Amino acid sequence: MRHENIETNVGLLVALTLVVISIGGLIEIVPLFFIDETIEQVKTTDGKDAIRPFTPLESRGRDIYIREGCYLCHSQMIRPFRDEILRYGHYSLAAESQYDHPFQWGSKRTGPDLARVGGKYSNEWHTQHMIAPRSVMPDSIMPNYPWLLENDLKYNDIAGRLKSQRIVGVPYSLTDEEYEANVERFGKEAADRLNIHAAEENLMAQAEQGNYDGDRSRLTEMDALVAYLQVLGTMVDFKQYDEGHFAEFR
Amino acid sequence: MAAGEQYNYDIVRKFSIMALVWGVLGMTAGVYIAAELAFPFMNFDIPELTFGRLRPVHTTLVIFGFGGSALFATSYYIVQRTCQTRLSSASLANFTFWGWQSVIVLGVISYVLGYSQGREYAEFSWPLDLLITVVWVAYLVIYVQTIRHRSQPHIYVANWFFMAFILATAILHVFNNLAVPVGLFSLSSYSAFSGVQDAMTQWWYGHNAVGFFLTAAFLGMMYYFVPKQAGRPVYSYRLSIIHFWALVFLYMWAGAHHLHWTALPDWTSTLAATFSILLLLPSWGGMINGIMTLSGAWDKLRSDPVMMFLITALSFYGMSTFEGPLMALKSVNALSHYTDWTIGHVHSGALGWVAMVSFGSMYHLIPRLYDTEMYSKKLMYVHFWLASIGIVLYITAMWVAGIGQGLMLRGFDEYGNLAYSFIETVIFLKQPYIWRTIGGAFFLAGMLVMVYNVFATIRQAKKETAILDAKIAAKLANA
Amino acid sequence: MWDWLKWFTHMENSKVAALIIFFSLFVAILIYVFGHKQRSERLESYKYIPFDEDDEPDTNDSKHKGTQDERE
Repeated sequence: MRHENIETNVGLLVALTLVVISIGGLIEIVPLFFIDETIEQVKTTDGKDAIRPFTPLESRGRDIYIREGCYLCHSQMIRPFRDEILRYGHYSLAAESQYDHPFQWGSKRTGPDLARVGGKYSNEWHTQHMIAPRSVMPDSIMPNYPWLLENDLKYNDIAGRLKSQRIVGVPYSLTDEEYEANVERFGKEAADRLNIHAAEENLMAQAEQGNYDGDRSRLTEMDALVAYLQVLGTMVDFKQYDEGHFAEFR
Repeated sequence: MAAGEQYNYDIVRKFSIMALVWGVLGMTAGVYIAAELAFPFMNFDIPELTFGRLRPVHTTLVIFGFGGSALFATSYYIVQRTCQTRLSSASLANFTFWGWQSVIVLGVISYVLGYSQGREYAEFSWPLDLLITVVWVAYLVIYVQTIRHRSQPHIYVANWFFMAFILATAILHVFNNLAVPVGLFSLSSYSAFSGVQDAMTQWWYGHNAVGFFLTAAFLGMMYYFVPKQAGRPVYSYRLSIIHFWALVFLYMWAGAHHLHWTALPDWTSTLAATFSILLLLPSWGGMINGIMTLSGAWDKLRSDPVMMFLITALSFYGMSTFEGPLMALKSVNALSHYTDWTIGHVHSGALGWVAMVSFGSMYHLIPRLYDTEMYSKKLMYVHFWLASIGIVLYITAMWVAGIGQGLMLRGFDEYGNLAYSFIETVIFLKQPYIWRTIGGAFFLAGMLVMVYNVFATIRQAKKETAILDAKIAAKLANA
Repeated sequence: MWDWLKWFTHMENSKVAALIIFFSLFVAILIYVFGHKQRSERLESYKYIPFDEDDEPDTNDSKHKGTQDERE
């Protein structure tokens, strides 16, 4: 075999190039789907899955997060370093983003990490910070997002959105069996919120109950986005686990 | 133009001009969003102008608009000339032109309106992803067909690199954009993969968009234009064989170094770090091959601005392919990741290598496409210095910003508490952000000088043709 | 019958195996490309392809004609 054979035969050149460029990707990506330890099992004390898919309202909030390109300045992936753990909390687990289609780990922290921002600030703070970041953080360079409070949340396609996510593997339930499986897996309360048939009611009920933007009379994009931010990183109760419990998965 | 009849230069001209147009717009967007980070009032509370929506506009315009159009132009030129045959199908080539330009226009409009897939450098909504796929298949068909019709027995090395770029981009694009749309009439979709697997797929894509779109393909450019401009063949053909196979093999492994210390399993990121370091070898092999092509004709570096662009590009290529493996080391990455050091690194590659080698190639190409000389050599020097100063300002500012912020974030006081809050690092970043904006503005100014120079060159070519035509007509009338 | 494949799945083994395979392949390519004088000359002759263009008489004419003959 001479190199000239490749240089004079475009079919051979294409075939060999394809082989050579495929190896790396195949070896690094395919096993991630089959090695069980890639994503840890995180159970609550009563044996349920700690991580649940987003509720309809949170999921819509996530859509807005993506729409505004938040991932370009905020990461959602805390690394296992002392400074990051002090600043943001326990390092992120693979399980915590297992229902993220797409993942939003980010690559740049122009602003702080948001993986565990849930519960750190009040709803009022978030709303005010989103409308005018410099009113609460004078040196912030984040843009103002006043329209989030002005725009009504569009949710007439919420069932379709959950159905699409169901196709890619998020356990939103469409049938009775799926619903029962969710009860088994996440508990009844969470399973109810993952029921696609009740998606719209659940969305409105959560907005009504959470009152995220401080105005009950309207359902705005701010409601959804704040609901999403407030759940980030709150699903795992790390007090339940020994220190170093999750280290074995790394 | 005799050459115009022999080869399809029409398509090369069209893509070249669009490369300049997108270059100006994309770099303008870049300078603007850089200014937004220094002066946040510039977001003006207008959704379409906020950083989060304009950043994909910037990356798409410069990578796919400027870089992509420059690659279409040069690859169509090189494949015809090195195979000594006409492009296989003019209509299909025109389809790739209009298809690709529509992708860019529609992509930009959709981003400012808030339609994004939320994947870096792959923000296009699913219908545009489908359009890209169709255009890309057409590109592959044209390329393979043209090579098949060659009148030269050998496929020149530049074409291997373009071929690998086309194939790899196809694979990366298809797998990274697998998604389920919300509906037939909805632009929204949800990606097929999630979490860890999705992150790995995205950075396999993201890194190899750099590796194949922004490196392999531009190396194809280098392997043709550097020898042509130097008037001497490439330094070592054998080195180019090693360079090619090693580069295309090693690049695909390196993506996971974007995910060091994350929830991605350790074995994956260790593999990626290892291969990132190995990648230094073919990268520098290629750089040496390019620069040494000039050996024996070093004086051209003083007298030929095109050569200055090309060799400077190779030097920046060498520098950023040294910096890359360094940043892929886990210990360095712990500091550099999430900071502006990454942004600086990308730009030393994107401005220093990709844009500079494109400028050099265009300055070689444009006069030949229009059968004339460049309008002004002086303006080419002006462009060169504006661009070089811009790059140095930019990457220096980003080194300061990135390393500075990284060190501040991991600083502890004497009691073991965090020394700085996050917002203190933001205050620190203001100065470097201003300098970065100025650096970007320099680079953009150089680009505008180039556009004027090219415009004047084309105008001059038209005049020359008109005079020539008049002369011929007069001669015919006399006879 | 596939048991032997499992040997490769252990990180300690697969690292070494991969290193040996890839490195020997690399060395083989190096030897092929640089190891033989005649072959070297043959391979190097292809670098004149960009100068085989008929519409540009100004570039290295004498050189590429020589190599074209060698190749044929």
